[in-house]
Amino acid sequence: MHELGIANSILEAVATEMRPHPGARAVRIAVTVGALSGVDRDSLAFCFGAIVKGTPFEKLALDVREGASDELDLTCLELEEPEP
Amino acid sequence: MSTTKVPLERKVLSENDRLAAELRAAFARHGVHCLNLISSPGSGKTALLERTLAAFDPAKRVAVLTGDIQTDADARRLARFGFPVRQITTAGACHLDARMVATALEGWDLANIDLLFIENVGNLVCPTSYDLGEAAKVVLLSVAEGEEKPLKYPGIFFKSKLMVLTKIDLLPYVPFRLEDAIANARAIQPGIEILQVSNTTGEGLDNWMEWIERRA
Repeated sequence: MHELGIANSILEAVATEMRPHPGARAVRIAVTVGALSGVDRDSLAFCFGAIVKGTPFEKLALDVREGASDELDLTCLELEEPEP
Repeated sequence: MSTTKVPLERKVLSENDRLAAELRAAFARHGVHCLNLISSPGSGKTALLERTLAAFDPAKRVAVLTGDIQTDADARRLARFGFPVRQITTAGACHLDARMVATALEGWDLANIDLLFIENVGNLVCPTSYDLGEAAKVVLLSVAEGEEKPLKYPGIFFKSKLMVLTKIDLLPYVPFRLEDAIANARAIQPGIEILQVSNTTGEGLDNWMEWIERRA
């Protein structure tokens, strides 16, 4: 249920991280989700897919990995940047 | 085009955690002991708070924030005891977050509060992820539910300081195996404290009041 809110928080974090990279396109965002985090990985993937539809983040892949314990962390953002 | 990998080593909910840390610091500054009560709908959070408020001396500096998706029914139930109570209506959200708590506290002087109860939205999953700046999470599990719930919803039993088994007056009438429920909670978190209460008969409430006083 709250995976929609979690997906939104991930997208907000991506938008923040993109600021120092004008012209770049976010390709992949990796998160780790632990079994005790209270977040369902499939549901998170579903919600994320739903909220990026029709936005500039439509092509952004969410990479959900299994984390330890109650981990719910952003680990890596992959960008495509124009050649300088 | 070139590919850049930006390493991010932070929580998904870092913005909520930042606000929660501010709340926790404000609570510490003003000597507010805050407890975050979490359970399924209907496990007896409001009933336990009614019993708790009724037992306090009217001079006790206690306040309650109560969260629900709709209605202020709980706030009205709890306001009868004369202590400050505010309803947080989440309008659909299945949990409280730190921003809702911060907003609900506006206008209250924390210096006048020693003990703050936050009754979360009835839900055993979603409130788990959101730190509200509390000193401890307290999870309620009624004997009308299943003793396997700690295994099915491990997150909240992992993060709670205390499990309160409620409705123990119903034990003769339900198939709930108390020992299994306790073993299951301890399998998730060996150090979890456990109390048993009945909000109907009052059994065990003295232990609950003592638990609060010992920590506050």
